[in-house]
Amino acid sequence: FIAGDTAVVTAVFGPVEVKPQRILIDKACVEALYRPKSGLPCVHDRMHESLLRNTCETSLLATLHPRTSISIIIQEMQDSGGLLACAVNSACLALMSSGIAMKFLVAAVSCMISQEDKLLIDPTNKQLKDSKASLTFVFDSVKKNTVASHTTGSFTQIQYQESLMKCRNASDNIFSLYRDMVKKYASRI
Amino acid sequence: MSMEKEPVSGRTIHPVKYYRDFLAQNVRPDGRSLQTFRPVSINVGSIKTAEGSAIVKIGNTTVVCGIKAELAKPKAEEPNFGYLVPNVELPPLCSPKFRPGPPSDQAQVSSNFIAETLTNSRCIDLRDLCIVSEHLAWVLHCDLICLDHDGSLLDACVIALVAALRTVELPHVLYDAEAEKTVVSAEKRSKLKVHSEPVATTYTIFDDEILLTDPTNEEESLSSGIMTVVVQGDKLCSVHKPGGSPLTDAQLQECINGAMKRAEHINKLINTALKSHET
Repeated sequence: FIAGDTAVVTAVFGPVEVKPQRILIDKACVEALYRPKSGLPCVHDRMHESLLRNTCETSLLATLHPRTSISIIIQEMQDSGGLLACAVNSACLALMSSGIAMKFLVAAVSCMISQEDKLLIDPTNKQLKDSKASLTFVFDSVKKNTVASHTTGSFTQIQYQESLMKCRNASDNIFSLYRDMVKKYASRI
Repeated sequence: MSMEKEPVSGRTIHPVKYYRDFLAQNVRPDGRSLQTFRPVSINVGSIKTAEGSAIVKIGNTTVVCGIKAELAKPKAEEPNFGYLVPNVELPPLCSPKFRPGPPSDQAQVSSNFIAETLTNSRCIDLRDLCIVSEHLAWVLHCDLICLDHDGSLLDACVIALVAALRTVELPHVLYDAEAEKTVVSAEKRSKLKVHSEPVATTYTIFDDEILLTDPTNEEESLSSGIMTVVVQGDKLCSVHKPGGSPLTDAQLQECINGAMKRAEHINKLINTALKSHET
């Protein structure tokens, strides 16, 4: 999945056999692994992994595959801003193409609040350097409610609400992108 | 002496149904309503060998924070900045979920969250920690150890950290640049300047609909989603919702309002604890 200059590659394995220590009797065990472009995964990446894991767990119908595990492996290729959003979107596309049953699709949008209190959607790394706060929201496709939210920096309540609304509108673009991709993919079969 | 065995109850066999029955009456098994917070108790300055310390109890959740100061050379690309290193430890003592060995994923995520909260809220200006630019700076190691995990871990950690930081007293240091000698005066003097007081509040979503404030460990493990709001003054510092059931805008707003009110209450409590420590 490539958004501007940020690129992320995702692979989904599952439902496959799970190690006995991670076995869950009523649903599938969802694992997320995030590998940065260079170096070993660090503590910061663990946070990304936990966000991805929880988002994917709620969107998948995990109860259909008990005693199995579904692994989502994400490799960062290029980082030019909005990496977390890119990773979530690519994970969703990978899950769609794997054919595992999902309750809803998810779309992630990132935005930032600049030093002059301006709201910018999908900023690049250059723009992010001059920011007061950066926010990433993940929405579901059915009711457009917030599935996940991750913020850095401080902001007021009103700014939060405003960015939530704007990102929600932007997520419509991503959902229509998904639809176009599926049309292309499905028409080849 | 024989140990009395607890009768096998609905709580152990079918915990979800047990909770649902209670929530249908708008009350929780420990007697609280859905929006009530547990009582918080704070004690500061209990560890004498540390530069700053605090113990916080939210209901049964207990977190101890100890701050030790060390001298080091600042980074080349940031010569005016000191270091602030938070570390959250979840020992096997606090909950059956954790095993001895390297820090668990949850401990790492919590440490990361605390580090991000500190930078987001700009609670400590790292420039205050610098003694001599490019040569000497303070490193504050903040160790947060959980002694009992009964839910709302991040809340307790943030409160303990802020309370401990406000008690830190750093000794004066004389640095001779030519001779490269440092002289630390044993008499501790200046207090650390804390610019803002972030307060965290945790909520869980049960069954995709019901919002519970300040969950216990049992409620957290049964919930379908969890969310932490960090408030600082009248600004929001962080809204951390790592996946979990989708929430409507109205529910988000409710959480933020609740967090704001609680922040006032907690700040008053920290102030009282600090005053009684000084006297």
